[in-house]
Amino acid sequence: MSTYAEPPTFTELPIDVDPSGQGTLRDGPDPWAYETRELHPIEDTPSKMEEMRARNGQVRKVDFDPVTRVAGALAFHSVVDLESRQVLETDAMATLFRGYEIILKGRDPRDAIYISSRACGVCGGVHATTAALALEMAFGVKPPPLGIVARNLLLSIEYLYDHPLHLFLLAGPDFSEPAVRATNPELWERAQRTPAASKAIHKFGTVAEIMTGMTPLTGTLYAEALHMTRVAREAYVIIGGKYPHPQTVVPGGISATIDVSDMNEIMLRLGKFFDYGQKVAAIWDDIVEFFYDANPQYRNVGTRPKNLIETGQWDDPYAYDAEYKNCDDWGRARWSPPGVIVDGKLVTSSMTAVNMGLEEFVEHSFYEDWTKNGHSNGSPFPQDPLGNPLSPHHPWNKDTIPKPGGTSWKDKYSWSTAPRWDRKAMETGPFSRMWVAAMSPNDHQRFTNPTGHSLQMNVPGGALPGRMVEWHIPEVWGAFERNRARAHAILFTTLIAYDNLLIGLDMMRKGDTAVSTSYKVPKDFRMGVGLWGAGRGFLTHHLTMDNGVLENYQILTPSTWMASPKDPWGNPGPYEEAVLATPLLENFEKPEDFKGIDVLRAIRSFDPCMPCTTHIHTDDRVITREVITCACGVDEPHEHAHQ
Amino acid sequence: MRVLIGGVGYRFLKDESVGPYMADTLGERAPEGVEVEDLGYHPVGLHQNLTDREPYDRAVIIAAPRRGREPGTITAYRWDAVLPDVEEIQHRVSEAVTGVIDLDNLLIVVGALGGWPADVRVVEVEPGEEGWGEEFSPLITGLLPEVEEAIWTSARP
Repeated sequence: MSTYAEPPTFTELPIDVDPSGQGTLRDGPDPWAYETRELHPIEDTPSKMEEMRARNGQVRKVDFDPVTRVAGALAFHSVVDLESRQVLETDAMATLFRGYEIILKGRDPRDAIYISSRACGVCGGVHATTAALALEMAFGVKPPPLGIVARNLLLSIEYLYDHPLHLFLLAGPDFSEPAVRATNPELWERAQRTPAASKAIHKFGTVAEIMTGMTPLTGTLYAEALHMTRVAREAYVIIGGKYPHPQTVVPGGISATIDVSDMNEIMLRLGKFFDYGQKVAAIWDDIVEFFYDANPQYRNVGTRPKNLIETGQWDDPYAYDAEYKNCDDWGRARWSPPGVIVDGKLVTSSMTAVNMGLEEFVEHSFYEDWTKNGHSNGSPFPQDPLGNPLSPHHPWNKDTIPKPGGTSWKDKYSWSTAPRWDRKAMETGPFSRMWVAAMSPNDHQRFTNPTGHSLQMNVPGGALPGRMVEWHIPEVWGAFERNRARAHAILFTTLIAYDNLLIGLDMMRKGDTAVSTSYKVPKDFRMGVGLWGAGRGFLTHHLTMDNGVLENYQILTPSTWMASPKDPWGNPGPYEEAVLATPLLENFEKPEDFKGIDVLRAIRSFDPCMPCTTHIHTDDRVITREVITCACGVDEPHEHAHQ
Repeated sequence: MRVLIGGVGYRFLKDESVGPYMADTLGERAPEGVEVEDLGYHPVGLHQNLTDREPYDRAVIIAAPRRGREPGTITAYRWDAVLPDVEEIQHRVSEAVTGVIDLDNLLIVVGALGGWPADVRVVEVEPGEEGWGEEFSPLITGLLPEVEEAIWTSARP
């Protein structure tokens, strides 16, 4: 890889970008204005539903309706045709109001680190760091190199907690022996006589043995994943103090001193992920290929266009300076650079372009549109600090105005906004991180090598011999590939952590042991943005402040992107889109036997992360199932008038 | 006899935060052999911590779950250690690892994965006021000595 993506061409936004990357607003009386398209849900037209049923008695409403214990998040409504085994209509509902944007207004900006961390019970640390990045930009403070390395280690370790959790505790059970036996017994039969191709690495003789290992509570892979989450947490608290809400992340670095023995303690734990990462990648390779061989249609479970967005993460300790004007340079210097992929092509690797293209829409969300369909001429920030145009719907211009109400598939049905980049629905996750990294040049090639079509990862030996593991950009993008990429992301993450650890030790040898830079909270107007990542992808915090307090604080999370409802033009969000395209491959004879495993695999492949219980209604009964979603993606409880 | 007293719950939720309050305040009055801890973290982590330690003879857990009783009702009982079916346990584990802090989750997840002593006692207080805040309602404030007595009684050999 030798070149970065050209400055982007926005096809939908009224922005021209010159070869230097500078954007200008196209001429026009009202360039940001748009017309909305009215939705016509099947259920809102009873005669249509009846007509479909008359033609085909197996058209059903299938509702995934959450009952959550604390901060439940996702519900899913769909209409399916069990005869043709197609999903006809979908609506993703975020049933919570997060409200951090309102809590943070008027507060000391430093509070954002500790308060925003509580947005998520799984990966709070990433919010803390993203807040610190936004504050550093606003304050004009740059951490010393070892402080940046320490933050990179925290991020890596947090992912090493998160990835096994997703792969074996949340998504994994859908591929376990009990689930496969119950939904596709013919696959269980096949698995028992299918040798596992990667036995030399993971030691399981057949695919059926892997599935048995993935069985909740009793499976060896399930138990091992639980143990590895502990290994990661132990490593995290050496720097972070506690988890998931670290106490040592501050603007300008970290507040804990670290020395060689701390690094060795981390290394002891990191080293376990060399073998574990190899094993997990091999397991998911075998699982994915088994399903594809059994039925190629599994490639289409959860498929959607290859439209992905990535903020980039893991700062180069000598490139990052916290200044917006230089963010394209320090962004590209990250171990995982920023980028946007549209239809499989990397259209930009510029952090300012990633930021410039952002919008959040609320036509189908429980919020007031603060822009009046883009007609408002009163945007506080028509341009970013470099003069690039910003939409009235950009997070820096956003005003969170809750508007609770009843659920209507035609009107408003979710507490998630509809984020778009260049007015396109984007997904994000470890896969976007690896995909952009595979397509981008990178100076950090001690252990990873991007080829343009794959990521080669040179894994040091542990109990297993060292070897090169390669993740390939998939031909068809869907649920199985999301999980496979997540499995390979353990190695990607571990190697970046190892690289940072070695760099940190080298800094210590040279006496560069400072981990923080002092600062003062400015009293004049400032703005900042943190572009970082969570286990499940894209994470930004946009802030403005004046008189020493926060004026506006906007959090845009991966789950907001992916749980998005339809946009003003009626285009679905990623969950909706992926489920709509999912073939129903489950083996059932009668509608009452339908368990919805393919739909659930599609949804869970995105790793929604906060527990909620979904009830699958087929017209005459309710099957309780569990879907996990991320409370950080949504925004306070409302009266849920389910229709 | 080694006894672990643990408070469970979220902070800053008024009456629902009796568990963490007791964990913060009882330690200095704990007799020899009794350890007091905040157990308001995810139960998988507690399972892992407990299985690393010398076994306790008894655990006493304090929480304020809302179960529809008369506000201020104090209930002390010995947990029967009966676990739900595997699917329900898996549901509870999923909640646990994604950050849910809850008395029932704690009992079930640690019960299923291991770590509890044979003797687990629970002291529950039915909360009154709901919402955000650092203060208890007057009702619960007035009952705190009684709650504390129920805890010590449950911890006594």
